[in-house]
Amino acid sequence: MPNKIEDVFGVAAAIAKGMGVTFKEMMSPTVTEYYPDEPAKFEERYRGAHVLQRDANGMEKCVACFLCAAACPADCIYIEAAENTETVRISGGERYARVYNIDYNRCIFCGYCVEACPTDAITHGHGFEVASFNTSTLIKRKEDMLAPIPPGAKPPVIAPAGGPAAH
Amino acid sequence: MLYNEPSPLETRVLSFRFGLPNSATLDTYLATRGYEAFRKAAGMKPEEIIEQVKISNLRGRGGAGFPTGMKWSFVPRTSPKPKYIVVNADESEPGTCKDRVLMENDPHQLIEGCLIAGLAVDAHAGYIYIRGEYRYLIEVMDKAIAEAYEKGWLGKNIQGTGFDFDLYTHSGAGAYECGEESALLESLEGKRGIPRIRPPFPAVVGAFQCPTVLNNVETYCAVPAILRDGGAAFAALGVPKAGGTKMTCLTGHVNKPGVYELRLGFPVKQMIEEVGGGIRQGRKLKAFIPGGSSCPVLTAKEVEGATMDYDSMAQRKSMLGSGGVIIMDEETCMVKAALRIMRFYAHESCGWCIPCREGTTWLRKILTRFHAGGGTRSDIDLIGDLSRNMLGRTFCPLGDAAAMPTLSIVEKFRGEFEDHLNGKPCPFERAGEMVTA
Amino acid sequence: MPDLVKLTIDGKAVQAAPGTLVIDAAKMAGIEIPAFCYYEGLTLQAACRMCLVEVEKMPKMMTACTLPVAEGMVVRTETPQVAQARKYTLEFLLTNHPLDCPVCDKGGECELQDMVFRYGAGESRYTEEKVHTPEKQFSPVVFFDAPRCILCFRCVRICNEGMGVGALGVIYRGVLSEIAPNHGDHLECDECGACIDICPVGALTSGIYRYQTRPWEMQHVGAICTHCGDGCKTTLGVRNNRIIRGNNRDHSGINGEFLCIKGRYAFDFYDHPERLQAPLVRKNGKLEEVSWSEALDTVANRFNQIRADGGTFGVIGSNHTTNEENFYLRKFAREVLATPHIDHHRTGDVTALVDALSGKTGRMATVADLYNRKAVLVLGADLAREHPLLSFQIRANYRHHQAHVYAVTPGPVREDKYAVASVRVASGGYFAALEDLRARLKAEPELVIVFDDSFKGPDVHRLVEFGESLGIPVRYICLVDYSNSRGALDMGLVPGEGGMRLDEMLAADLSALWVVGANPFKGTPGVPGSVARKARFLVVQDLFLTETAEQADVVLPAASAYEKSGTVTNTTGEVQRLKRAINTMGAKPDLEIMGFIARQMGAAGALGPWVPETVFAEIRRTVHGYDIPLPEIDTGGAAPTTPVNGRVTEAGGPRPDLIRSDHNGLFASGTLGRYSKVLNSVLEGRLDR
Repeated sequence: MPNKIEDVFGVAAAIAKGMGVTFKEMMSPTVTEYYPDEPAKFEERYRGAHVLQRDANGMEKCVACFLCAAACPADCIYIEAAENTETVRISGGERYARVYNIDYNRCIFCGYCVEACPTDAITHGHGFEVASFNTSTLIKRKEDMLAPIPPGAKPPVIAPAGGPAAH
Repeated sequence: MLYNEPSPLETRVLSFRFGLPNSATLDTYLATRGYEAFRKAAGMKPEEIIEQVKISNLRGRGGAGFPTGMKWSFVPRTSPKPKYIVVNADESEPGTCKDRVLMENDPHQLIEGCLIAGLAVDAHAGYIYIRGEYRYLIEVMDKAIAEAYEKGWLGKNIQGTGFDFDLYTHSGAGAYECGEESALLESLEGKRGIPRIRPPFPAVVGAFQCPTVLNNVETYCAVPAILRDGGAAFAALGVPKAGGTKMTCLTGHVNKPGVYELRLGFPVKQMIEEVGGGIRQGRKLKAFIPGGSSCPVLTAKEVEGATMDYDSMAQRKSMLGSGGVIIMDEETCMVKAALRIMRFYAHESCGWCIPCREGTTWLRKILTRFHAGGGTRSDIDLIGDLSRNMLGRTFCPLGDAAAMPTLSIVEKFRGEFEDHLNGKPCPFERAGEMVTA
Repeated sequence: MPDLVKLTIDGKAVQAAPGTLVIDAAKMAGIEIPAFCYYEGLTLQAACRMCLVEVEKMPKMMTACTLPVAEGMVVRTETPQVAQARKYTLEFLLTNHPLDCPVCDKGGECELQDMVFRYGAGESRYTEEKVHTPEKQFSPVVFFDAPRCILCFRCVRICNEGMGVGALGVIYRGVLSEIAPNHGDHLECDECGACIDICPVGALTSGIYRYQTRPWEMQHVGAICTHCGDGCKTTLGVRNNRIIRGNNRDHSGINGEFLCIKGRYAFDFYDHPERLQAPLVRKNGKLEEVSWSEALDTVANRFNQIRADGGTFGVIGSNHTTNEENFYLRKFAREVLATPHIDHHRTGDVTALVDALSGKTGRMATVADLYNRKAVLVLGADLAREHPLLSFQIRANYRHHQAHVYAVTPGPVREDKYAVASVRVASGGYFAALEDLRARLKAEPELVIVFDDSFKGPDVHRLVEFGESLGIPVRYICLVDYSNSRGALDMGLVPGEGGMRLDEMLAADLSALWVVGANPFKGTPGVPGSVARKARFLVVQDLFLTETAEQADVVLPAASAYEKSGTVTNTTGEVQRLKRAINTMGAKPDLEIMGFIARQMGAAGALGPWVPETVFAEIRRTVHGYDIPLPEIDTGGAAPTTPVNGRVTEAGGPRPDLIRSDHNGLFASGTLGRYSKVLNSVLEGRLDR
């Protein structure tokens, strides 16, 4: 007999416990994201599409050292370097990347490039919508990845060749 | 011209003409037993000359103290190449100013020394390499040389002895490094003044790739005295392993600084108290540098009972060096002393080898910062560590010369460095005193 | 051979010849002693203090780079004291070294990086301000960044000792010491760039390679410089089908570390804007771009028609094309076009030399001989300008072996500085000067005679007679101008029986003239001025629209030496292999062009495949002296040919008047030189013209 009573109480306790979770969750904020109706949320450390950073003056941080390309296990970074001159000053260092392409067909988002970068020029952003039906659109160029020029910064000096530097 | 009153305690062998009227002229020189030694040497065999120099226990007066007779005997007399006599008058060691008075007051003594060295090694040409800052001395020497040529004491068939000898002066351009013998030779040849790889030593491959005798001014000046009165008499003036007298430059905080000719083995205490007239304002001795800034610094305690000779200083882990005594009293900031010394070496490092070039500048920067009150405790160890790593690893002795005093200061006066950390800035620095370090 | 000295390095028993330096002995035993300033072949320095090692019974550590081995010496290179000394030396070095490796051109192949990685301390205790001076440009090709400089003085020494120029020196002292150029703010020198190659760090950088890429991004292709006849190997750095730099840091090839401005930088003609990239056919009096097939058909049809009509062909070959191409061209001319009228611009009388030496073996000197033989006699040529490698070898021979050098030249030459005898002669005065030197030359144990086009025809015979009369072993070098001048001759680009010479062909009323890689209408030396074409049909294969190509009916764009495979023979008769480094769109190797023409003519069967390896196999079988060991040249080496051992007679008799060197200086290289940006940019190039 006492067994039956114990059973009833046991079942009731289990139900109460289960409902307890339910009620608790009803009170707590929801984690469901309404993507794509709302923008997705990310942890800070999320490794999404790359962003090429600028310094406080609006200069590109990338000095075209090729270390990201060397570190890349998927060999998806292609760089062509050029020298900053009096009239064309793109980066803070002596050299800048004239061409900087990442092939997202191959990128595995491992973050080695970010680790390798000596100037913190390449970082992972939170972009993740890189899927495409056309692989040729997956090669991102420098212009696609560059961070915007920070407000108040003077833009890079680009004057016509041979002409005086813009001030 | 003399810069200080002579002291009665001096033994004037090299400097006995100082103060005579027109002491730099040939007439005065000849009237005071001048060129007597050369006449004597001209009648001797070269081996006999070298033997007399050996007997005299003359040791190089430039700083290293190498036995001169032995150095001369290394010159291959039979070599078909011409041999050269080179005089190191690039006197740049801080605290040293003896060659200058020797050349200024008695230039013919140096000329005679060169002639005798020429006889000893069969050399017929000599160069006096005078530091660029001693421009006026070049005039003095040139005048004396011209006089000697005119009266037949230089040139062809000198005084009928059949011996030819030409002597030239050569101006340095103001590099301390060119006081190092092989750098001096490079500079003499018209190249950048950087030391050479040794061996071969200059005695075998020296100036213009030929055998060369290279000695300090004072060394050559001692030679006439040796030949004149015999090596034994000269040796008797000094201590057993080092003969003769030493031109000693008393500098720093003494009442009567100046150049004094003292016997080797002269007691340090007596030198400071009696020759130098004691320390200024009756203060106590704090630090003592026996032979120019390249020597390790000695404390007052360490110099107790010391005598001015090679062995006594070596026992105390310092060096007799060039005889440039620097005396520092208790009011001296040793950090500043170290900085002042290092500024000199950083400025004078020739840039040839890495430890010296980078080490001296690094130390200068640390010491500058430290003295100005920006030091940290780890800097004290770093100073010692860097000095130790320069010591014995540089190409030429300049690196050692920079490291040794610094190392000794930081080891022996560590307390003062600690004080700088606590009582920033320099506790010794008084208002109005120079802070240009 | 003197007895070997036995010593112990790190417990290993090592034997070395007396006088060997400890650093070299250790290297032979597989023990690395790091050093910056030590460089094999240059004077000793002992300035960097990286090579300090412990030696038993020595009070302090010794520099392994100045210490000769001694019997029973015990050396330790890996003790804590040594490791500590290396670490501190590197720490000292890095105090004023900017850590700008990411932008430094040397990053990735920097000796300082490697050393710090291997021996150095990860962290520096240096917290003071670094010495900084702005970067300087010494010349269009040499940049100098003083803060990066570690003052190893290698550049100063290579320039002074290796090149004999001495354009670099040191100014200031102590930590401010700086390498400085000879003209205060700029260099006037050979612009050879040896200082850049030898720099262990990124202090001296190349104006051409500057900020282009990183070392690991390039493929390296060993090519043979296509400019002068010395045959230097230049290692081309290639990225994305572009040649980015040339150097020879691996010291492969007959030139060791040597390269002149042409070898190091003057590859840049390949992407000159005027480079031909499509065939041109003359239509209505104007050259118009057409397709390859149209151009090839035009040539083949016309050739076939002329053949059918029994017309005459003239063929002019090149000093720059490969042996395979020259061989194929000759075969084409002889067998398909059936013409004896073949020639090329000759720059030295090798034929006469070979003829004079007939019956004797081993008498042609190699580049290595100039370094190893005890005496060298230079006749006529200013080697430092015209044959810089040979000049370098002789200089090195003098420095390392105290070789006796005799210079008998019309003007002052660089060899004068160390020659035991320098004689100035007017033309025609050579033999009198030689007679004056006879006694001294006779006293030499052996001799290499180097002569240029001052000696032609009978003079060469007379020179060889003189050499043979000395009674000592004598070897000869006949200087020729271009990268395959020697090969063109060896492959038989000379007139056959009754054939016309180059000058005659230009003046003759030929049915067709076929010019492969030459510019005879420019006014070849020996031929009066720019000639108007006489031939009724002119086909030209070339890289650019030269004076000759401008007059052509068909111009076929050809590939340069860096864009094809094959072999070339240098002025000393050494064969080396070319490797294709890049492709230039539109241009084709001459061999391929000739093969296609043959195919379109329906005559390919007679000539065999136009594949370089196949043609070379045929050359080895049929050309005298070219039966050379393949492994030698296939592994990047140079194999000397053994020339014809018998009388060489030239149809129609010798014509020394046609042999004339262009005497290109360091900054000129025939037609190619006109299209090199670098050669035209350097100051000396403009002065030298």
